Amino acid sequence: MSEPPKERVKYIDTNLNLPYHYYAGDYKALYLRALRDKKILGSRCSKTGKVFVPPVIASPESLAPCDELVELPHRGIVTTFCVVNVPVIGREIEIPYVVASVALDGADVSLYSLIQECAAADVRMGTRVEAVWKPDGERQGDHTDIRYFRPTGEPDAPFESFIHRL
Amino acid sequence: MKTFPKPATIEPMSQRMTVAFPYKRSTGEIVGRFLAGLRDQKKIWGLRVSRQGVVVPPQSYSEVDAKAGGEWVEVSQTGVVTAVAEVTRPIEGLHPSTEPFAFVLVKLDGADTAIAHVVRTKLDRLRVGSRVRAAWAPDGERRGTIRDIEAFEIVD
Repeated sequence: MSEPPKERVKYIDTNLNLPYHYYAGDYKALYLRALRDKKILGSRCSKTGKVFVPPVIASPESLAPCDELVELPHRGIVTTFCVVNVPVIGREIEIPYVVASVALDGADVSLYSLIQECAAADVRMGTRVEAVWKPDGERQGDHTDIRYFRPTGEPDAPFESFIHRL
Repeated sequence: MKTFPKPATIEPMSQRMTVAFPYKRSTGEIVGRFLAGLRDQKKIWGLRVSRQGVVVPPQSYSEVDAKAGGEWVEVSQTGVVTAVAEVTRPIEGLHPSTEPFAFVLVKLDGADTAIAHVVRTKLDRLRVGSRVRAAWAPDGERRGTIRDIEAFEIVD
């Protein structure tokens, strides 16, 4: 035979696995353990007073230490968001769903979170939201302890109040 | 906002996790036939393309002048190692072996490019320049992937 088979192999499975051993570091460890206790921690910049969440040990902006840890409220504003229309392996959520940046009240940066309990089309920049937690006893100290945020029904926050906190 | 008192000592927190990318790739016309050759014929096919010689594994165009098409050429199952990277501590799930092995490039006799593969045995003797031969997965266990060649083995 002077040629390979005409009937070709059409697909190959290439399962790439990347095994990690991840260390959280001091602030991230405190942040995750606090979620178990239904608390959201941030850190405050010693120079500018800006509050970062999750907490960082130094401000990426001023480079000053963020020594003070603070407890943030569980409410905030959708600053920006996207509507997911494509199902992703490992994420069993009915599409379309919304993933948003949520600026907690008092925080100067946003967290990423799901927005649920409303239609995707009803989420806006400025929508006021609150955290929905896993019940007591089920929280493990990881980022899924906050299941999602849901709209509070309050009037939207004005653009100027969050545009610098994306 | 309430200050959260920082504990005097912080217990380290760590987690093992595996990030998985379960890809299914479309092989295309040329590589698809190359893989069928491994599975069905136990043959290693290259493609003679413009100004580049015999390319193994084949691709449907020349890397020199981008001209499409070529002529199928069966290459030898023995060849010479042109590069070695020994993996002394393989990572399960990431590497193609749990025992120490080596990634190699093998320029098969009759080919003008080298194919990436593994050597699992006689690693102490493995060098750039070593002569190696393809060792095949048994009949019925070849699935039409590059792993239908189980490994390359040093020729004595």
